[in-house]
Amino acid sequence: MQAEEAELSAWISQAGGGDQGALRRIYVAESARLFGIALKILRERAAAQDVLQDAFVAVWQRARQFDPARGSARIWLAAIVRHRALDVARSRGRETLSDDPGLGDEVVTDDPVERIAAAADGARLHGCLKGLEEKNRRSIVLAFVDGMSHAQVAEKLDVPLGTVKAWIRRGLLSLRSCMEGTA
Amino acid sequence: MSPPDIPSAPEELEALAGEYVLGTLDARLAEAVRAALPANAPLREAVAAWERRLDPLTRLAPPADPPAGAWEAILARIAPAPAPVASPARRRAAGWQHLFGAGLAGAVVAGLAVFLAVRPAGPPPERYVAVMQSDRAAPAWVVEADRESGIRLAAVNRQAVPEGRVMQLWGLAPGDRGPTSLGFVPADGSRFSFDARARPPVDGMLVEISLEPPGGSPIGRPTGPVVFIGRLERVAR
Repeated sequence: MQAEEAELSAWISQAGGGDQGALRRIYVAESARLFGIALKILRERAAAQDVLQDAFVAVWQRARQFDPARGSARIWLAAIVRHRALDVARSRGRETLSDDPGLGDEVVTDDPVERIAAAADGARLHGCLKGLEEKNRRSIVLAFVDGMSHAQVAEKLDVPLGTVKAWIRRGLLSLRSCMEGTA
Repeated sequence: MSPPDIPSAPEELEALAGEYVLGTLDARLAEAVRAALPANAPLREAVAAWERRLDPLTRLAPPADPPAGAWEAILARIAPAPAPVASPARRRAAGWQHLFGAGLAGAVVAGLAVFLAVRPAGPPPERYVAVMQSDRAAPAWVVEADRESGIRLAAVNRQAVPEGRVMQLWGLAPGDRGPTSLGFVPADGSRFSFDARARPPVDGMLVEISLEPPGGSPIGRPTGPVVFIGRLERVAR
């Protein structure tokens, strides 16, 4: 079951007023998307489930702070889940090099960025990502989607750590000027 | 005053906000950014802008159904001290999920087909259907609705109502400020009709069943767990 942005916003505000039914609606509409985001970062169902649960408790507690005038409900929900999942990834010692040879393997077989082009809200980001050098683009996707650290991206792409840091920083700043420039 | 970790030069601030949203900051720096957000408006704006810019990338994570029990675990953490009947109700709700097998999809389609075949003849009003689920993968009720004859429910796999509770049906259309009570689902039987004049069905309306104390919710919106939920969709003519 999917929900419109306006519905999600309304449910968050109802949850902020103590309405558990509203939280349930948010869960039914959004839990698969949010669990998918956490699972992609943590690659382990039990850990992703813990993150999803923590995130919904946080949604319940912080719902009053959500202001639909300041941003999208879908983005707000995804950010809560992503940052929680990233915290867990960090606490697992993400900054050290991984000994998992399969880490992120599925993402380098094609260019996943093509998959966001079709969505109306993805077209601009897609266009700007395509304007980056491929290595910068890949670094950004591996970090955002797979939750990789600089060190993990460096290992994955087999380049020095300092190089990855520079690629990501340069990539982000180019992305920003591209996206603001086409506004 | 910003802590030394948080730069004030615009380009440095942008890069830091971008890396915070990207997720590449280490634990210490990520925590420093988070701690600075409430008091640092430029940082907050920069982070919000990056969340917006990069959001389409969240589509690259394929959706996945969370494990059964995740919702119950959330409810257990947010619910106030359980009322005497609340915990059997919750246990029963969890039990329902186990009882609905994976092969239910075919049964739902068959049930829908039979259900739709009995509609009265004549110029049809806009009709809507939904499958109400106790969980994403556990269909429980087939719903058919139109403005003239109201809302009809057919049980796919009827389960007992927890003792001391009644099932209350609610409608919530897009734009409504809150759910409207449509009546009670009797404890026995498998097909029911509801007069829906209080909240005529429209496309996209949610139908929900919550467990309530005898007599129904005293406050005009669900107080107990919402055990079934579905969304009405218009049937093409």
